[in-house]
Amino acid sequence: MNQITEDFEPQIVAFCCRYCAYAAADLAGSSRIQYPPNVKIVLLPCSGKVDELYLLKAFEAEADGVYVAGCLEGTCHFLTGNLRAKKRVQYVKSLLDEVGIGGERLEMYNLSSAEGQRFAEIAREMTERIRALGPSPLNQRKSKEGAIK
Amino acid sequence: MNFSGYGTVRNFSEMKGTELKESSEKTGAVLVVGGGIAGMQASLDLADSGFKVYLAEKSPFIGGKMTQLDKTFPTNDCATCILTPRMVDVAENKNIELLVYSEVEEIKGYGGNFDVKIRQKATYVDWSKCTGCEECVSKCPAKIDDEFNQGLGRTKAISLPFPQAVPKKVTIKREFCHFFLKGKCRVCEKVCQLGAIDFDDQDQIIERKVGAIILAPGYEVYDAHHSPEFGFGRYPNVVTSLQFERLLSAAGPTGGHVQRPSDSQKPKRIAFLQCVGSRDQDHGYCSSVCCMYATKEAILAKEHDPDVDVDIYIMDMRAFGKGYDDYYNRAVEEYGIRYIRCRPSAIKEIPQSKNLLIKYQEGREGLRTEEYDLAILSVGLGPGSSSLSLSQKLDLQLNEYGFYQSDPFQPLLSDKPGVYVCGVFTEPKDIPESVIQASGCAALAAGLLAEARGSLVLEKTYPPEKDVSAEEPRIGVFVCHCGSNIAGVVDVNQVAEYARSLPGVAYVETDLFTCAQDTVLEMREKIKEHNLNRIVVSACTPLTHAPLFQETMQEAGLNPYLFEMANIRNQCSWVHAREPEKATEKAKELVRMSVARAAHLEPLTKFPMPLNHDALVVGGGISGMTASLALADQGFEVYLVEREGRLGGIANRLHYVFENQDPGELVTSLARKVEEHPRIHLYLHTELKKFSGFVGNFRSILSRRTDDGAGEEIEVEHGAIIVATGGQEYLGPDYGYSRDVRILTQLELEEKIASNGSVLQGIKDVVMIQCVGSRTKVRPYCSRICCGEAVKNALRLKEINPEARIFVLYKDIRTYGFMEKYYTEAREKGVIFVRYDDEHLPEVIVAGGRFGPKSGSNEHQRETEKQAAPHTQDMAFSVGQPEPTGHSTAATMQGRGETSASEQYWDSLTVRFYEPILDEMLELHPDLLVLSTGVVPSEGYEELSRLLKAPITQDGFFLEAHVKLRPVDVAFEGIFLCGLSHYPKYIHESIAQAQAAAGRAATILSKKFLEVGGAIAEVDSEKCVACLTCVRVCPYYVPIINVEGVAQIDPAACQGCGICTAECPVRAISLRHYLDEQIIPKVESLLAGVV
Amino acid sequence: MIIADRKPFEEIKELTSKAKNILIAGCDSCVAVCLASGEKEVAVLASELRMQRKMDGLEGEIEEIVNVRQCENEYVDAMRDKVEKADLILSMACGVGVQTLAERFPDKLAYPALNTKFMGRPVEPGVWKENCEGCGHCILHLTGGICPVARCSKSMLNGPCGGSQGGKCEVDPEIDCGWQLIYDRLSRLGQLDALVEIMLSKDWSTSWSGGPRRVIKESAGV
Repeated sequence: MNQITEDFEPQIVAFCCRYCAYAAADLAGSSRIQYPPNVKIVLLPCSGKVDELYLLKAFEAEADGVYVAGCLEGTCHFLTGNLRAKKRVQYVKSLLDEVGIGGERLEMYNLSSAEGQRFAEIAREMTERIRALGPSPLNQRKSKEGAIK
Repeated sequence: MNFSGYGTVRNFSEMKGTELKESSEKTGAVLVVGGGIAGMQASLDLADSGFKVYLAEKSPFIGGKMTQLDKTFPTNDCATCILTPRMVDVAENKNIELLVYSEVEEIKGYGGNFDVKIRQKATYVDWSKCTGCEECVSKCPAKIDDEFNQGLGRTKAISLPFPQAVPKKVTIKREFCHFFLKGKCRVCEKVCQLGAIDFDDQDQIIERKVGAIILAPGYEVYDAHHSPEFGFGRYPNVVTSLQFERLLSAAGPTGGHVQRPSDSQKPKRIAFLQCVGSRDQDHGYCSSVCCMYATKEAILAKEHDPDVDVDIYIMDMRAFGKGYDDYYNRAVEEYGIRYIRCRPSAIKEIPQSKNLLIKYQEGREGLRTEEYDLAILSVGLGPGSSSLSLSQKLDLQLNEYGFYQSDPFQPLLSDKPGVYVCGVFTEPKDIPESVIQASGCAALAAGLLAEARGSLVLEKTYPPEKDVSAEEPRIGVFVCHCGSNIAGVVDVNQVAEYARSLPGVAYVETDLFTCAQDTVLEMREKIKEHNLNRIVVSACTPLTHAPLFQETMQEAGLNPYLFEMANIRNQCSWVHAREPEKATEKAKELVRMSVARAAHLEPLTKFPMPLNHDALVVGGGISGMTASLALADQGFEVYLVEREGRLGGIANRLHYVFENQDPGELVTSLARKVEEHPRIHLYLHTELKKFSGFVGNFRSILSRRTDDGAGEEIEVEHGAIIVATGGQEYLGPDYGYSRDVRILTQLELEEKIASNGSVLQGIKDVVMIQCVGSRTKVRPYCSRICCGEAVKNALRLKEINPEARIFVLYKDIRTYGFMEKYYTEAREKGVIFVRYDDEHLPEVIVAGGRFGPKSGSNEHQRETEKQAAPHTQDMAFSVGQPEPTGHSTAATMQGRGETSASEQYWDSLTVRFYEPILDEMLELHPDLLVLSTGVVPSEGYEELSRLLKAPITQDGFFLEAHVKLRPVDVAFEGIFLCGLSHYPKYIHESIAQAQAAAGRAATILSKKFLEVGGAIAEVDSEKCVACLTCVRVCPYYVPIINVEGVAQIDPAACQGCGICTAECPVRAISLRHYLDEQIIPKVESLLAGVV
Repeated sequence: MIIADRKPFEEIKELTSKAKNILIAGCDSCVAVCLASGEKEVAVLASELRMQRKMDGLEGEIEEIVNVRQCENEYVDAMRDKVEKADLILSMACGVGVQTLAERFPDKLAYPALNTKFMGRPVEPGVWKENCEGCGHCILHLTGGICPVARCSKSMLNGPCGGSQGGKCEVDPEIDCGWQLIYDRLSRLGQLDALVEIMLSKDWSTSWSGGPRRVIKESAGV
């Protein structure tokens, strides 16, 4: 088990709003701030577009961690989208707890487009968190990948 | 009443103005000078309403000073977040020709027809080739101080000003370049794989014909070296507020870690010194923004480190804008920021620690000294570096401070016809005021050039779109090296090889720079050659680069929505530079995700929706009349509705402004123009009764009271609506108001002065109390105009009787901008200003009772309180012979809380107040007590808010869509705001905002059709169960349940956020371009591996 | 409308533990409008079950279906194809829907995934309150439009009782005293005199006390 955890490279999906989180990721890039490559971004117009089902489907597809990143509270480009997203993330966390996957594999973050550093921090924080938690109970990828390597 | 044409959607070409297009003699183009927030706003508004714009900016990027700000007050909105999309809009707008690094050389001609020459400076880089990859920057050996970071960081002689710069092109600063200085180097030339470096580049003179010119050259912050007493430049830990802004910024030189320059330690004690370069002997004006930005920076410093102590040395806290006082109160109460009412004369450094000592006066306790780790100089706003040369070229006279001070009744006009002025060029002001003025200038320029509207704009046409709906996906994948930016880390060939294996991929290539001009041209051919129907560009960020490739697709006959980007640079090679193998793996995954999504993309078309080109303006005060005229002059029909029988609103009660003009004359002349204007349809005694529809196509029912007492209803169709419902004087029973004829409001005093000032000659003592009905618990906002009103009237009283003693009891004197001059003048003439605070409120003893301000403890008070009856015009008024007013009986005193009526005070008017410098209570028996009462919204604002679905603040003022950048728009599209209905303001500000509302409305009304569709939400009416969820969650109030009983989302109003789609319980709403079947496969493909 | 709420996942897990192929059947009527059912909630539950069952090593398919009203024979009958492939129908409708399924598909298990709560309405987004108990004899015209049967915790006809404190009910301070509301409304209407009248005991035979009820509209018979 320990071996697996050490080799374990989590797959993490980040749903990012266009106006802040995605722009912050761009800035992290232009500022060359390094973070682990485990995070893969899905661009959405607003974090308020994140559907409970997107989050569940990601876990169903064996993601080890998922997070939603939107504008800072009170400054959503679409006024209230990030607050709606926050509620949905809370709800899906409770569903993940019920199912036994664990709500801590899902998180909501807020940041501004000038916070490239923060974007990298979040990516690190989430990668470390998921690495510590180990693979998602649903994740069967590890055996597949092991076979390839 | 001539009332023709309503009820029909008229074709734009039928409108007057455009009929003259063929024979037009005016030029349908405008030169905007200055690419800051004001210049950008004016450019966008004009380009969006049918005019060609040349935007000349002296620096190599647009965005102006705002690009250097971290956050903005009072919402702490990130400046970059709100500004970057705006800059991209400017760059993408086909009707704006961006002339950066350019200055005006010569202007000839007259309003309607100018010939301008613009000098575009040599950048030594061929921008048509430069992709902003910055490879040259990393190799350039010439390190220089970074101007963008206010000298706190380092950059290179060839550089991009900042990461989000628009245009994203590098410039060589000749004065620092080793090659130019020493004759050798040329490293940049060697590393540039696109051959973009051009050391032979020369300045270019560009000639353009324009019909109007808008000047928005902005400002420079005060150079603190000129105040040596504060040690800037000598003491490392004395920084300017703009430098501190860079230290706070996450994108700044310290990555958002606040460090003091001497030792990079976190400061624990910070001082702000206000009014550095403002309100002094050399700068007799107030810079208007420093109190608020210092408060913002203090709050942000606290948020970075809650243990830091922040003191702000301040004379008056000038929080006069919407939501500003609330922000200030939070700074004090929530963040514990200390405001010290003193202006220190110097800063001293302790040489060992480099700490700073500030000596200040504290009440009667005398001088105290405080030690700080960091001192921030809140530097004022001075004239822009090009203001002088620009005004000389146009023969415009600047004021004593170097600003162009315009006529208060024509705030956006210069002395030269066809030349309009906005932004800090005319007076220090904050961002929303600048944006307002810019939109106003756009409206005026459009009015001048109405006949030439549409004559020079380009409408790009593309070849017919190929129908790909029946085709299997044939995806073309373009993998970019970005020089070595991507290829230096990611194995691009491996990624390309991998892409070939993905389902649906028909063509793959790698490019040195996919965005390079020739590659983009070739992409067109590749699309045709390989019959591609989806494009994936695997390169950098879609936020800046998608439009370029999408346009290429359109040129090749492909719908631009069949496009997807995999960001393998910003999200991969740049951030995983030390893990090339993992980065290559991730790049493959990102490409796989994009290909999976691309396969499910569908073409989307925008379709033209007809619209009504008329406007409805509600409210016939100065704002409403000004807005109506600004629209009618542009050729639009306007329905102007006023519920009273007379135009003018509250301005009918104003008689003079500082500069001596008569608002009454303004009202008269506006009213005459409105009544005579053939395109303005005036409805007096009329109110808005019903309102429905969406932007471009509203339908309103007006209700008019007729002479016979019966009403009539009038139906109007219109494309936009402007709310100009005004405000009224607060008339609460504070300080004994309405109990004694000697107690007046400022407006009542103004009426006395104007009607018969001589009766006031005998006046000896006058007390004015500020903030009556403002800045209280019940009404926490500042009414903005009362300080100016008090100073103005005090000066008038001094003119009438120079011997009069005038005491102004105030909390803060908020005579911002050039008004400061009059505050100084009032003090010079002996007007005595005495500060009070909430712990020491003045007290008025009259007619046997004691009165203070109304207590604000009862939160329901506002609804229940009755406005006290104002004095009637014919009330007896005599000086020195006070009479108790008839209704001041003992009976009415009961329940006031103070029943200890004392006979001795019966005849006299007494004001008791605390004098903080003497530390004593003083008592005066003035002949006049003048209450500076605030502004409250006019009656019926709540009902109007409901009717229009236009939100209001808790103070009852209409809420703009964004306090900084959309100050006249309402979130619900097609509704615009101006005047007092938005917030208390001076006449010149109302006029500018009214013109701005007209300018913004014109961006809609001038369109032949509204282009709607694209990535917006759509309801599947078969699935909808009319549960109202979407109606309740939409932040823009767009969804309605229609007559068929299903939700309907107006395509013109939908903002495309997708919130409703994620909430719909029956999944009946989908956001085009972000369909579930486009998002979910993207996620699944990542996790499933090869699909 | 009928207000329902999803059962805890633990309970649903238990209910479905023995089944292999499961059909989750949603309803687009009241329960969708109160956000307990409809395509979205069906998909959410399906996703949860798929994940849980995968982890627990259970085999079988989870299918999803939603119809307009699960309480109508015609709509329910149209589900037949999918129903046949399932061992268990997990209904996300009110109790009426579940029973309709049970009746129309007598050989299939039809289990409830929702708890049917009451007849009520949304008072703010995300909050629903009970308004009607379906007593069979409406007296709202006598009580200011506020039902004492449903909104007084004790269903008193001549309230309030001594447990009304500051407008709240002694049963739970979150509950408004129904009789306070009645008083306020009648006072607003100027009909306080109506409170002087003693209401006689109600004929409860029209309520559930009379056994399962039925409504007949002759003219509607085919």
